[in-house]
Amino acid sequence: MNMMTAGRTLTLALLLAGSAACTVAPVKPWQRAHLASPAMAWEMRPQVASYRQHVEVSKEAASGGNGLGGNACGCN
Amino acid sequence: MKTASGLLLALAPAALAATGPAQAGEGSVEYLYSNYHEDDLPASRSASGKAAGRYQVDSHMFRAQQPLGASDDLSLDLTHERMSGASPWYVMPDAQGRPVQVMSGASISDIRNAIDAGWRHDWGRRGTAKLGLGYSQEEDYRSWQFSLEGELKAWDGTQSVTAGMSWFDDRLEPTDGGSPLYPGRVIEAGKQGGSLYAGVIQVLTPRDQFRLTLSTLWQQGFLSDPYKLAYITGSASTVADSRPDRRVSGALSAQYRHSLATPGLALQADYRYFQDDWGVQAHTATLALNRSGSLWDWSASLRWYSQSQADFYAPFYASLRGDGLASSDYRLSPYGALGANLDIGRRLGAWRLGAGLGVYRASEDYALGSVALPNPGLVSWRNGYLQMSRQY
Repeated sequence: MNMMTAGRTLTLALLLAGSAACTVAPVKPWQRAHLASPAMAWEMRPQVASYRQHVEVSKEAASGGNGLGGNACGCN
Repeated sequence: MKTASGLLLALAPAALAATGPAQAGEGSVEYLYSNYHEDDLPASRSASGKAAGRYQVDSHMFRAQQPLGASDDLSLDLTHERMSGASPWYVMPDAQGRPVQVMSGASISDIRNAIDAGWRHDWGRRGTAKLGLGYSQEEDYRSWQFSLEGELKAWDGTQSVTAGMSWFDDRLEPTDGGSPLYPGRVIEAGKQGGSLYAGVIQVLTPRDQFRLTLSTLWQQGFLSDPYKLAYITGSASTVADSRPDRRVSGALSAQYRHSLATPGLALQADYRYFQDDWGVQAHTATLALNRSGSLWDWSASLRWYSQSQADFYAPFYASLRGDGLASSDYRLSPYGALGANLDIGRRLGAWRLGAGLGVYRASEDYALGSVALPNPGLVSWRNGYLQMSRQY
């Protein structure tokens, strides 16, 4: 995969997501009690999630997805 | 790291959309202790014919978040890890031609210290921005990283766009590099790279939300593992692990959250597709149930992972490839893995105590598609943690 391919895929994916979002009916602020629950967070326990991602990335070929790469280690 | 391999990256502590324990205007401190323990290499996969101990890590992590006025906060992450044990060295065929693992011996003994600092600005309903700077140091490895992330929210708060970039610069000086004992081991090397991501978050209904993120990571420099070898059967000898000096990868991640009828109970479904220019394709799927109550919270999750092999990977080689590339690292081999995690927490006033357990098992049986010749070094591990946090 080169940078051009990655860029085109990114643009396409975001356009598709944006198009899908336009068809969603707005959710009013007073309807968001369930959404505000910590159980609905993208990472319910950020420190634990960060630790687990660190382990997984050091043991698998794949990385990335939800955030940034970096903070390298010479992991075994 | 006294002996040890030299891949790779860890993900930075998360995107801005992650909900931390402290809300805007609140400060918090967290401490987490974790023990990571790899299962022994079975005798049937060991070149010595005996089971061999592997790697373990004790980690201490401290995190503090301090508000600065109504719209800014600073965060600080400190990590101290002690690693010990043995790691896979190279793979060779046994008398029947099956690949068996040669271990490094229990010679790893190292400490990693890392510091990450962040500054976040909150524009209320408009969005947030975060600046991060990190440094990690081991005996034979050091890394600098810089990151910038942002989230822009739509006027009605039901849609937002996220984006971020990072840059890193790593330097390694392998133990015994260039010594008479390991003349083929590099003395000093470096690698640099960066990553970009962009995504959208969409509230679908009063109970559902979705997030789509696309990221790319590029690296250049010394991407081989200075502590691993590859076996050449034709000459019955080993050569140093050698990989391309450039790697570009991309990942597409989809995350879905659904609030169930019971208040504070939510279903989590995540999927990630990964591909790089070394020929690796990987799928990751996670399914979890999260519960958040006024006193207790818990989560139970299952994770499945599958990857194809890198183009130049082989458990061992009949002869050296024309391009000189060679790696028998199990992390570049075809395999799958299943993992499970259980977390529980209890609030005590401003304090919260937490604990969790995790298990992970890699096997050719869990891979998408069949694996003709599985790497004998595939790893299984267990970990457990205790966590303590306080808001103020």
